[in-house]
Amino acid sequence: MDKILEVKNVTKIFGKKRKQALEMVQAGKSKTEILEKTGCTVGVYDASFDVKEGEIFVIMGLSGSGKSTLVRLINRLINPTDGSILIDNQDIAKMNKEELRHIRRHSVNMVFQKFGLFPHKTILENTEYGLEVRGIEKAERQRLAEQALDNSSLLAFKDQYPDQLSGGMQQRVGLARALANNPDILLMDEAFSALDPLIRKEMQDELLDLQEKVHKTIIFITHDLNEALRIGDRIALMKDGKIVQIGSGEEILTNPANDFVSEFVEDVDRSKVLTAQNIMIKPITTNVDIDGPKVALKRMDTEEVSMLLATNRQRKLLGVLTADAAFKANMRQHSLVDYIDTGIRTVQKDTLLEDILPLIHDSGAPIAVLDQERLVGVLIKGRVIEALTKQGIESTE
Amino acid sequence: MENFLQNSLPVANLVDKSIDWVTENLAGFFRAVQSSGSTIMDFVSDTLSFIHPLILLVIITLLAFIISEKKKSFTILTALGLLYIYNQGLWSGMINTFTLVLLASIISIIIGVPLGIWMAKSERAKQIINPILDFMQTMPAFVYLIPAVAFFGIGMVPGVFASVIFALPPTVRFTNLGIREIPAELIEAAESFGSTDKQKLIKVELPLAKNTIMAGVNQTIMLALSMVVTASMIGAPGLGNGVLSALQHAEIGAGFVSGLALVVLAIIIDRFTQFANKPKKQMQKMSPWRKFLAPVLLVSFLLTGFTNLFLQAQTEQKDQITLAYVEWDSEVASTNVLAEVLKSQGYDVSLVPLDNAVAWKAVAEGNADASVSAWLPTTHQGQYAQYSNNLDDLGSNMDGTKLGLAVPAYMNIKSIAELNNQAQRQIIGIEPGAGIMARTEEALDSYSNLSNWTLTTSSTGAMITSLEQALRNREEIVITAWMPHWMFAKYDLVLLDDPNNIFGGEESIHTIARKGLEADHKEAYDIINAFSWTPTDLQSVMLAISEGQSPSQAAKEWIELNANKVDEWLK
Repeated sequence: MDKILEVKNVTKIFGKKRKQALEMVQAGKSKTEILEKTGCTVGVYDASFDVKEGEIFVIMGLSGSGKSTLVRLINRLINPTDGSILIDNQDIAKMNKEELRHIRRHSVNMVFQKFGLFPHKTILENTEYGLEVRGIEKAERQRLAEQALDNSSLLAFKDQYPDQLSGGMQQRVGLARALANNPDILLMDEAFSALDPLIRKEMQDELLDLQEKVHKTIIFITHDLNEALRIGDRIALMKDGKIVQIGSGEEILTNPANDFVSEFVEDVDRSKVLTAQNIMIKPITTNVDIDGPKVALKRMDTEEVSMLLATNRQRKLLGVLTADAAFKANMRQHSLVDYIDTGIRTVQKDTLLEDILPLIHDSGAPIAVLDQERLVGVLIKGRVIEALTKQGIESTE
Repeated sequence: MENFLQNSLPVANLVDKSIDWVTENLAGFFRAVQSSGSTIMDFVSDTLSFIHPLILLVIITLLAFIISEKKKSFTILTALGLLYIYNQGLWSGMINTFTLVLLASIISIIIGVPLGIWMAKSERAKQIINPILDFMQTMPAFVYLIPAVAFFGIGMVPGVFASVIFALPPTVRFTNLGIREIPAELIEAAESFGSTDKQKLIKVELPLAKNTIMAGVNQTIMLALSMVVTASMIGAPGLGNGVLSALQHAEIGAGFVSGLALVVLAIIIDRFTQFANKPKKQMQKMSPWRKFLAPVLLVSFLLTGFTNLFLQAQTEQKDQITLAYVEWDSEVASTNVLAEVLKSQGYDVSLVPLDNAVAWKAVAEGNADASVSAWLPTTHQGQYAQYSNNLDDLGSNMDGTKLGLAVPAYMNIKSIAELNNQAQRQIIGIEPGAGIMARTEEALDSYSNLSNWTLTTSSTGAMITSLEQALRNREEIVITAWMPHWMFAKYDLVLLDDPNNIFGGEESIHTIARKGLEADHKEAYDIINAFSWTPTDLQSVMLAISEGQSPSQAAKEWIELNANKVDEWLK
C-alpha cells in the first residue's frame, strides 16, 4: 500500500500575531493563555501523519480540538501557517491557484456536516456540480451524476430540491456529489453528525459497503468514538490542535497514550469496583396494564428482540414476556397478564460484579436489575464479559 | 488657532473649483452621456406614449394578472389606479416618471450589484465603500441636483443622475449582505470542487443572494420614485412637476392628485418587482409562458419603438423650443401665453419649470432656448452678472414691475422704516433662489430697524397661504411681494415704501435667449423677441389661473381676446 497523503508538521494559527503565538505553542502554553496574550487561536499545531491508499483514516476529538481545521488544510480551504501537505508527493501548501484547482477538481473532494447542498439546484444539478465546474459537457456529466445517484438509490429524486429530502437522503446526495467526481481522496467532515442515531448507523454501514466497492481513501472526521471504532482502519485523536495518538481502534483502547485518551475512551479503572448499575443497559419493557399482545409484538419487532420485560404501571417487575407467549395471547385474544413467565432472575442495582458472574454464567436469559421493587435495567452476558476484560465501556445512555 | 476659529475654511470654494474643473475637462464625456441618455429615454417614453393609453392600460392589467398569479385584488387595483391616472390627465407625466425610474433603477443595478459583489469579496473595499454609502444616503438629495445641472444641464438626464446617486446605496448594501450571509459551508462546497471565482459567483453566490439583492433593488426603485419630485426642480418631466408646482402655488387638491398618482405607480412597480422575484420552484409549476414573458415583452416593445421611430421619420419633424420658467404665478402666465403662440406657429414647445438660478444657468448653457422671466435690473442682478456673457438679453417684455415688502392694509404701516416689532419680527419669503430674497437680505442689513428681523424661506405658494391665513385671522404679517400679482387685486395689501431704495425702483421683466437661437430657429427667435405685453394683460391671465383655469386654457382665452396684440408679435 502506498502513502497517498502525507501531512508533515502542519500548523495553523488564526489571528495577527502568529509569530508570538507560535513561540508560545512551542513553549507548551495552553490555548486559552495564547488567546489572552496574543488574540490568536491555535487551530492545529505540528500535526504529522500519513494515510495509505484505500484506508479509512478517522480524525477524532472533542469540538474545538482542531479536527475540522485539519481536514480543511488537506484541501487547502484553509492555508497552513507552516508545514507541508503532500498528496501523491506534491506539496499542496506550495501550489498556485491553478494547480490547487486541479487537485480539488480531480483528487480531493469533500462531504460536509450540514450536507453543503445548494438549495437552488436540483439533486441532479447538485450531483453534477463538480463535473460542471470541470467543464465536462452536459450529456456526459449528467450520465455520471445519474450513475452516482443510482448507486445510492436516489435516482428517483433527481428533479427534487434538497429541502424536499430527509437528512439522510441529503447526505447521500452529498456523498454522491463527491463520488461522481471520482476523487482519490474523500474528506468527510462530521458527515453523519447532523443525522439522527438510527440513520447514522445506516449511513455508516452504507459507507462501509461502498468502501468495499470503490476503495477510496477516506479521511473521516468525527467526535463520536463509536463511529470511529466502527469504520476507522486507523484513528488519530486530537486535543487542543495537537494529535495525541494515532493507531487502530484496538491500540487506542488498549494502550492509551495519556490520561486524556484513556478518559476519552472511558477506560474503566479496574480498581473501582463495578456494580450491576454500572454495566446494565436500558430494559425494553411492556406495561401489561396498558399494552395488549399486538402492541407487545410490535415493540419486539421494532426493537429487534424476542422477549420483553413485563411491568405494571408502577414499573414493578412482573416477569418476562416471550415472543411465543405474546403470539399465543394474540391468537386467543387474551390479555398478556396470564402469559408472563415469572421465572426471571433479579439482582439489586448495587450488587457487585463478582456476585453477578455465577448467575449470568449458567443462563442465557437476561437478568433484571431492580431498585427495591422497580425495574431500572437489565444485564446481558456480552456486557458483563466485556466489563471484565480491560477494555472500555461506554456509559449507559 | 485664533485665525482658524475666526476664518472659515474655503470648503465651498474648493468644491466649486473642483466641480468647475470636472465640468470643463469632462465636457465631452458629459455631452456624450447626455445625448445618448436623452436618446434612450426619449425612445422609451416616446414608445410608451405612442401606444394608446387605454391599450397600454389593458396590457399592464393583463401583465398584473399573469405575474400576480391571478390575484384578483392586485389586478383590479392596477386597472383602477391606471384609470384614475388617465382620467386625471396625468398619463404622459406617469410615462415620463416611469421612464426616469426605470432607467435610474437599471443604472443603479448595473453599478450597484458589481460594487456590492466587490464589497462582499474584499474587506478593504467594504471599509472604503461603506462610509461613502452613508454619505450618499444622509446627504440631502437637493445637494445632488447642483452638480447634476452642472454636468448634464436640465431635463431627464440630470434627474436620472441624481436619482442614481440617491437610490444606489440599498442595492449595493443588500448585494453585499446577500453574498455575505450565504452559509460558509456552501461557499466551502463550491470551492472544494475547484470552482473558479467566476463559477462560484455565477453558479452559487448570485443565485443564492438573489432574493436579498432583489429586496435591495426594490428599495432602490422606491427611492428613485421618491427622487422624482425633487428631480423635477431641475426639469425632469413627470408626476413630480405636478407635486412641485402644487407646493409652489399651495394647491392642496392638485398636490394630492399628483401625489396619489405617484402612490399608485409606486404600488404597481413594487408589487411587480416582488412578484417577479418568485423562487425557481414555483416558476416551474407556473404556466410555461411566464418564463418567456420578459423576452416577449422586450421584443414587442422594441418593435413598437422602431415602428414609432419609422412613423416619426415619415412625418415632418417639428422644431422644438424649450422655454425655461420659474413657478411664479406671473411667469406661469407669460410663459404659457408665449408657448401657445409658438404652438400655433407649428413649434413643438416644452415648458420646463425650474428654480430661478437653474433657469438662468439652463439658458446660459443652451439647455433651454429662452426664458421670459428675467427681472432686471435689480431683482436678478446676481444671475445677470454671472451669466449675461453667455446669453442674449432681448430686452424688456413688460415694464412697470415693482418689488418690495408688503403688509395687510389694517397694519397701518406705509414704509419699511416703520417696521419694529410687528409680526414676530419675521418676514415670510419665497424660494431661496429668487432675486427678491437676495434684495430682502440686503434690506435686513441696510435698515437699522430690521437688524433683529429674520427672513423665512418657503415657496411662493406657502407664502400666499400664510398671507391668506393671516388675513383671515387679522394677524400681522410681512411678506416679500412683487407687482404685477393677483394678490394685490384680490386683497387689500400695501407695498411698503423703500426709502433706502434697496428693492430698486420700477423694473422690467426681460426676455433672455440662448446664444445661437437666432441662427437655429429664426422664426421662433423673432416671435420670442417681439413678445411684450402690459401688467394689466398679465394680471388678467393670472387671475384666471388663480381662479382655477389651467394655465394653457387661460393663455388660449387671452390670445383669442387679444388677437391684435398677438398678430403684432407674429409680424
